[in-house]
Amino acid sequence: MELGVVVATDVHKRYKQVSALAGINLVVERGEIFGVLGPNGAGKTTLIKALVGSSRPNSGSVRVLGLDPRGAPAAVRRQIGYMPQAPALYEDLSPRHNLRFFGRAHGVETLEKRIDDTLDLIGLRARENDAVYGFSGGMKQRLSLACALLHEPKVLFLDEPTAGVDPKLREVFWQHFRDLASRGVTLLVSTHQMDEALLCHRLAILRAGRVLVSETPAELLRRGQSRVRVWRGEQFEETTMLDYRDQLPRLLQRSGLDPAVRRIEVEHDSLDTIVLSLINASEQESVRRRDGDTRRADVSHP
Amino acid sequence: MAIHVAQMSVILNRTGAVARRVLQQLVRDRRFLALSIAAPLLVIYLLKVFLGTMESPFVDATPYAVPIGAFIVHFITYVLCAIVLVRERSAQTLQRMFVNGYRRSEIISGYVLAYSALATLQSLLVLWELNALFALSYPVRTLLSIYIVIWLLAVVSISLGICVSNFARNEGQVFPLIPLVILPSVFLSGVIIPVGQLPTWAQWLSRVIPLYYANNLLQGLVRPGAALSDDVRGLASLVVYGIVVLALATLTLREAD
Repeated sequence: MELGVVVATDVHKRYKQVSALAGINLVVERGEIFGVLGPNGAGKTTLIKALVGSSRPNSGSVRVLGLDPRGAPAAVRRQIGYMPQAPALYEDLSPRHNLRFFGRAHGVETLEKRIDDTLDLIGLRARENDAVYGFSGGMKQRLSLACALLHEPKVLFLDEPTAGVDPKLREVFWQHFRDLASRGVTLLVSTHQMDEALLCHRLAILRAGRVLVSETPAELLRRGQSRVRVWRGEQFEETTMLDYRDQLPRLLQRSGLDPAVRRIEVEHDSLDTIVLSLINASEQESVRRRDGDTRRADVSHP
Repeated sequence: MAIHVAQMSVILNRTGAVARRVLQQLVRDRRFLALSIAAPLLVIYLLKVFLGTMESPFVDATPYAVPIGAFIVHFITYVLCAIVLVRERSAQTLQRMFVNGYRRSEIISGYVLAYSALATLQSLLVLWELNALFALSYPVRTLLSIYIVIWLLAVVSISLGICVSNFARNEGQVFPLIPLVILPSVFLSGVIIPVGQLPTWAQWLSRVIPLYYANNLLQGLVRPGAALSDDVRGLASLVVYGIVVLALATLTLREAD
């Protein structure tokens, strides 16, 4: 029995000369909200496409609910929901028509009742018969999410679900994601928003088609540095620490009960800074390796 | 057995869902619907004007009217359908359909079914106009046979358009593929020059043109006393051609990158 609801093992995908996925490995457990973070072109969309069976990896293996999405597409597709990056809706049709069409693919029983409930959830009941092309970007995203949720899938793949969605609605989306996860639904969400990333149970940072790290947000935050400023009068002394939770007590012990200490400031790296530094370090490592390869090639071909 | 029946019912439901959705889009897009019906009627009126100038006591242009009318239906239906799946691909709804479990055969059949409804109406109006403008004076049985051939050609054109659209990644790539199919139809189908007068290699090439089969049938039908049952082989050829193109359209529809 394979562990993990979604498992990618050494997945490679090339588009002509471009390597979109260069050996992706990840495991997503049941009921987990798994975030995929990374700069543009890191391979987030290609990864999701490979997981839902829309892209054929050149090598490696993909398993969703223990099944190969390319080998057993019907069995996988019955149990997954997918929200692509673009809304991917029939804009000349109404929300109800769109939901009905995607619902019919799954043979959803009591379809009209499910559509009513879903339209209520996304707040589009009043516009259910209007053509989608007149909708705002946020409304289209809501409908697109509804199309992915309608058949109550066990696994949801969401490619930047809150792009163009206002903060209030984003909160509604995430509350719903948490509700789904608490009911055992597994969610794999790609995002650019760091505040959303913090809401995931685990995060994978992608760069150039590779997973740099796959950790919980708390573990990732621990990779950051803290700057502790101890103010005495108008002067301060700054110390950089890797883990202020362990190191700060020692610093305070050194200061003793110095009455001149009037203020202690702790500034911890944000997730943004940590992710960026991981990506930058990986880029520098790639450049170093490339330069090394070029030098070796020059030596062997004088 | 029960499983097969259940599976068949699922396939039919999903095919029906695609057809219904495409029809809903057609009905909502009034301009597209009006243009796809009005365009062939207008062109046939221009054909009447053109053939009218050619007519003299020595030249009877009427026998050309029905095959050229069929060509117009073929051309317009093919062009309308050449774009449909490309549009779905660029809007990513095609990918979404696949991930939701729709199969290639269900998508293609659904499209053909929905556009066949349009073709049924289009062929009927075209034949009515041809009959009115050219005073065809064929018996009802012949008119019905001509209608069946034009309708079949329209359905084949739908499949051909969908098949061609599978080879284009975006709308821009479809346009060069349109004349590639249409222009050889004009020269090689036998509508203007009998196929027998062409070089042997061109005669073979004409076999891959759907209008060749439809034109053979129509040329036979406009002869006095002719019936569709006289050329069962020709009719079967057009049907088989349509099935082959439909199979090709299904097989070439890319499900994954």
